[in-house]
Amino acid sequence: MTVNARSETSMPVTRKIESQNSVKRFVVAIMRNKWLYIMMIPGLVYFLVFKYLPMWGLIIGFENYAPYTGPLKSPFQGLEWFRFFFSTPMWLNYLGNTLILSFMSIILTFPAPIILALMLNEIRNMLFKKITQTLLYMPHFISIVIVVSITYVIFGAGGIIYKLTENIVGHSIDYLGDPGVFRWMIVGQSIWKETGWGTIIFLAALTNVDTQLYEASMIDGANRAQRLWHITLPAIRSTIVLMLVLRMGSVLDTGYEHLILMSNSLNRTVSLTLDVFVYQNGIKGGLYSYTTAVGLMKSIVSVLMVVTSNKIAHALGEEGLY
Amino acid sequence: MKRLLTLVLALVMALTVLSFAAAEDEREEITLNVMLPDFNSDKDWVTLEDGNPVLQYIYEQTGVKLNITWVADSAYGEKTSLTVANPDDMPEVMVMQGVRDAIMISTARAGAFWDLTDYIYDAENYPNLAAGSKSTYDNIAVDGRLYGVYRSRAYARAGIYYRTDYAEEAGITEVPTNVEEFKELCFAIAEKGDAYVINMCKYVAGTIGITTVMMGAPYQYGVDENGTIYPAFEDEKFQEGLDFLRDLYAAGGIDPNFMTIESGSWNDAERSIPPKAVMRLDCLDNGYRYQEWLETNVGADPENPIVTLVTALPNDDGEIQIWPQNIGASGEVCVTKAVSEDKLPAVMKFLDWCSSEEGTTALNCGVEGYTYWIHSDGYRYTYPEGEEANKDQYTLYTNTVQHSLNQLGMNVHGDLSPKAASTILRSWYDQNLIDNAQYVISNPCYTLESQTNVLMGSTINTTVEDAQVQYIAGKLDLAGLQSVYADWHAQGGDKILAEYQEAYDALY
Repeated sequence: MTVNARSETSMPVTRKIESQNSVKRFVVAIMRNKWLYIMMIPGLVYFLVFKYLPMWGLIIGFENYAPYTGPLKSPFQGLEWFRFFFSTPMWLNYLGNTLILSFMSIILTFPAPIILALMLNEIRNMLFKKITQTLLYMPHFISIVIVVSITYVIFGAGGIIYKLTENIVGHSIDYLGDPGVFRWMIVGQSIWKETGWGTIIFLAALTNVDTQLYEASMIDGANRAQRLWHITLPAIRSTIVLMLVLRMGSVLDTGYEHLILMSNSLNRTVSLTLDVFVYQNGIKGGLYSYTTAVGLMKSIVSVLMVVTSNKIAHALGEEGLY
Repeated sequence: MKRLLTLVLALVMALTVLSFAAAEDEREEITLNVMLPDFNSDKDWVTLEDGNPVLQYIYEQTGVKLNITWVADSAYGEKTSLTVANPDDMPEVMVMQGVRDAIMISTARAGAFWDLTDYIYDAENYPNLAAGSKSTYDNIAVDGRLYGVYRSRAYARAGIYYRTDYAEEAGITEVPTNVEEFKELCFAIAEKGDAYVINMCKYVAGTIGITTVMMGAPYQYGVDENGTIYPAFEDEKFQEGLDFLRDLYAAGGIDPNFMTIESGSWNDAERSIPPKAVMRLDCLDNGYRYQEWLETNVGADPENPIVTLVTALPNDDGEIQIWPQNIGASGEVCVTKAVSEDKLPAVMKFLDWCSSEEGTTALNCGVEGYTYWIHSDGYRYTYPEGEEANKDQYTLYTNTVQHSLNQLGMNVHGDLSPKAASTILRSWYDQNLIDNAQYVISNPCYTLESQTNVLMGSTINTTVEDAQVQYIAGKLDLAGLQSVYADWHAQGGDKILAEYQEAYDALY
């Protein structure tokens, strides 16, 4: 307080006026665009209510929360849960499963919609393009439960693909049980389900490419591959980088629904990720504080990843996220 | 004189008013918000306001207006934790499905439920509740106090049932009388190769548990002759049971995909024509239901059942052991703090009534002339005498009571409702519950406290169970299985054992 008061008094008169002016300028700037700011209110309220307010719930990760007592009165116990989690021998296993699955899905599923969008972009017959696009979007609207059920039918013992591999390779592959196959199945299902939908944003970016560039390059004798490499890709590069940085933020979100549906006694060693752990012990087991702490730890790692990948984007000369 | 008359009149009036008030008091009318698990989620539930005759009957008998919130059984656990997290919006009476899990214990300790100990043991006011089993009450106590009334379930439900016709085709006409003969039966059917033998699914605790306990292993934890607690899976009899399942799997007696079958589809393998598997180790009530399914779908003869139920087989040492399907209870009915202290006696009076003869009848069978009829043979039917069995009438019965209101049924001293006409297998089953309850073993650590078990138990026990499944399926050898057991010890098992041991030594 005293420090503030002294600094107020020691502030030169001119600077005081300046700061008053800047306040005035701020108000004027707001008044000038007041309708824009008013239109922003619903968005702000959304973020406050659904994103910022629930963050207070994280406090239970630092206490021994009892449901009925509530977060305000439960005993505080600092970083005890974090310490406990890192003292269990399994945490590295969970983190490892999470990271491997996440990076596998980034490396394999991220480029898929880009490639597909470029392919669609090359289609010249509009009717064919439209039909293809619609068909590609469809899997997105199928619930993951259905996707897994279909997988069980065609990959399970007696299923089409199971029999097919048996005939081609000579021995059967346990698609649903083998831990080595598990991650590929998960990634494969995600690609099948989401790739078509993922093309939307890249197709939108592709419409912004200046067609004159193509014409000019054609006159210069560039073939299709060269046009793709030198014009199309650079044009959507910033979109790709932006999507990648955004994706990095949710890289550790493996989700639990898909994994729980696909997991069984044979593959649990690789299917138990942090999200599944939190769901099974928190929501189902009632260990709220412990699993909140684990979830928070995961979030911290995610934030670090976004910051790092954004730095890398800047270093590569791209705009990045912020 | 006039004054006297006035006085008398006034007295009479006062008395009338008083007696009225007294009558009102006896039948205190309350509305009760109840949350129950729903096993019948596509049912049309009729509320009291819309004239549900069973709720109407309960209201007339007790003065309690039941307002029921149904929560799908599969989501009940999650919903429970969310419900108790919100003190302002709790139901007044709710079923807690796990009596010893983290949610129940932490919620009870936090004070969300009324301590009912003094009410339950008050034989004068609550005679039905007080008549319940002391050992079962002990099983559901938290820190020695009761926060609910248990929902009674029979102990000796577990056993083996199989298709008699498939056994006969495999050359075994006699019902096995000991574990050795049971094994022979399994391998004979496997060798015949018409179908898988044991029907298994993702939920393996039952199959592995029934097998190993039958062979002589303890249930979950054992106590050796020195009083030391050890995990059941380290008992040699447990290994014997696993080896049997592994051998049967190798002989083609178990569906190689069993670990991917959801427990909700467990029935599918046997309830298909022809069956994919012909034997199951589970609750024996599923056995007579299987026979009834065969009667409606394959035209099996009710007088000559083609399903055989077996339990209580002596093992190689001549001992008989039965796996405990439960602890004599399936969850408990708790009264939350949403009920005021003044209202609590009335609520307890109602819970007491629920276990009375009228109460169990209303909750398990409904109302006579609406959901059930007593025929001249003295048995209960779901349709009026002289009529044919009617599907709509049966649906009404299941919608209203079975799989519905019976979830509130605590039946603390048994099901007192009128008996349904019984089949051969149902009578056998009822007799088995009485005769074989003595062979059911229990987990010595069930009521003991272990903080490590609460935090890590389910995680490390799942790892062990997974390894056992892999062992049965031949994907893991004995050394691999034992290294998983060693991990169990290192990852918290030793701590759990030490905590149990300490609590156990303090008691005995």
